[in-house]
Amino acid sequence: MKKVGFFAERVKPVIIMAALTIICIAIVSGIHLSTQDLVIANEGLFLKKAVLYAGGIKLPETNAEINELYEERVAERGDIFEISGLSGDIAAYAFIIVGPGLWGEIEAVTAFTPDLASFVGVEFVKQNETPGLGARITEPWFKEQMRGKPFPLRMVPEGTAGASGEIDAITGASRTSAYVLQIFNSAGEKAEKLRKEGI
Amino acid sequence: MASGKIVKTFITPLGKENPVFVQILGICSTLAVTNKLENTIVMTLGVIFTTTLSSFTFSILRKVIPARIRMMVETLIIATFVIIVDIVLKAYMPDIWQQLGPYVGLIITNCIVMGRMEAFAASNPPGLSLIDGLSSGIGYAYVLIIIAFFRELLGSGTIWGFSVFGDWWSNWAIMIMPPGAFFMLAIFIWIVKGRMAE
Repeated sequence: MKKVGFFAERVKPVIIMAALTIICIAIVSGIHLSTQDLVIANEGLFLKKAVLYAGGIKLPETNAEINELYEERVAERGDIFEISGLSGDIAAYAFIIVGPGLWGEIEAVTAFTPDLASFVGVEFVKQNETPGLGARITEPWFKEQMRGKPFPLRMVPEGTAGASGEIDAITGASRTSAYVLQIFNSAGEKAEKLRKEGI
Repeated sequence: MASGKIVKTFITPLGKENPVFVQILGICSTLAVTNKLENTIVMTLGVIFTTTLSSFTFSILRKVIPARIRMMVETLIIATFVIIVDIVLKAYMPDIWQQLGPYVGLIITNCIVMGRMEAFAASNPPGLSLIDGLSSGIGYAYVLIIIAFFRELLGSGTIWGFSVFGDWWSNWAIMIMPPGAFFMLAIFIWIVKGRMAE
């Protein structure tokens, strides 16, 4: 067998590995930096869309129009979003609420009426629920049922919600439904606290 | 390079040595991302990209890399390409990126990618390795797309998000859930292998 020297056996692999790692890091960092602005813009736009949707405002088609509408209708005060109606009066207060989900954190924008007594709407900003089951919380029927609902909420089997304060759970996603209910009710508590303290 | 060899390299992973239904590799993602056609197609494009370029890159480097760090280098190359896919999706297709969640990153652990590098790219020239990587990716992709087609159709009554069955259709919740993927995959393998045995 050929005798392998110390350099070839020990040093060379380390040098090659280090060099390759540096090259790979450079490539990935380069791509990351060149798309960073786009990613930040996407995230910003995503939140704007969520706030507008939760506030019950119909979203325009293009991104530029969304940005414009947001500038016009939404004022950020601390962590509260003040959404104004067409007349200029406050139509809704919104804030971001975070809570546990089945696989990861669920983050949602919740909007409330000016008297902070019921929901105007909700939109999810971040969720990792099971696609096709828990992830159905992002489907319109689930989000739309929140419009005008007073809190605290109760969850009833899918398709049976009727009384005020009742929302449909998702069949096959009991845990996700329970977590979402918990998140919405804690948003309700926060709204009530804001009302007592005066907004 | 004989063109016959190129054709053979391309054809083999599509049928006789298909990574999914013959080698039973990449099953994790086959089960995880096949409940919606749209997600499946983006995911499989990511895998095709990764397996093609990883095999190609590793084949170029195959004579330079000392044997003892071979697997570290393979993982490094795969990770680099997967992160590129992740970044590009995040920047240009944020909605789909959000839906796929952790699964893009998990391409790194897809056995097909590393399997092709070990089994083929390590001992074949870059051109052939590229073709082998590409067709292994395609071999993986079309199986997933077929499974996703039936899972979305039966589980949600839709294809590519468009409703095809209408209101009378009652969704088979099991098709959306992971067990549905086991059934679909098993049925698929049963049919295909049954035909191959004839």
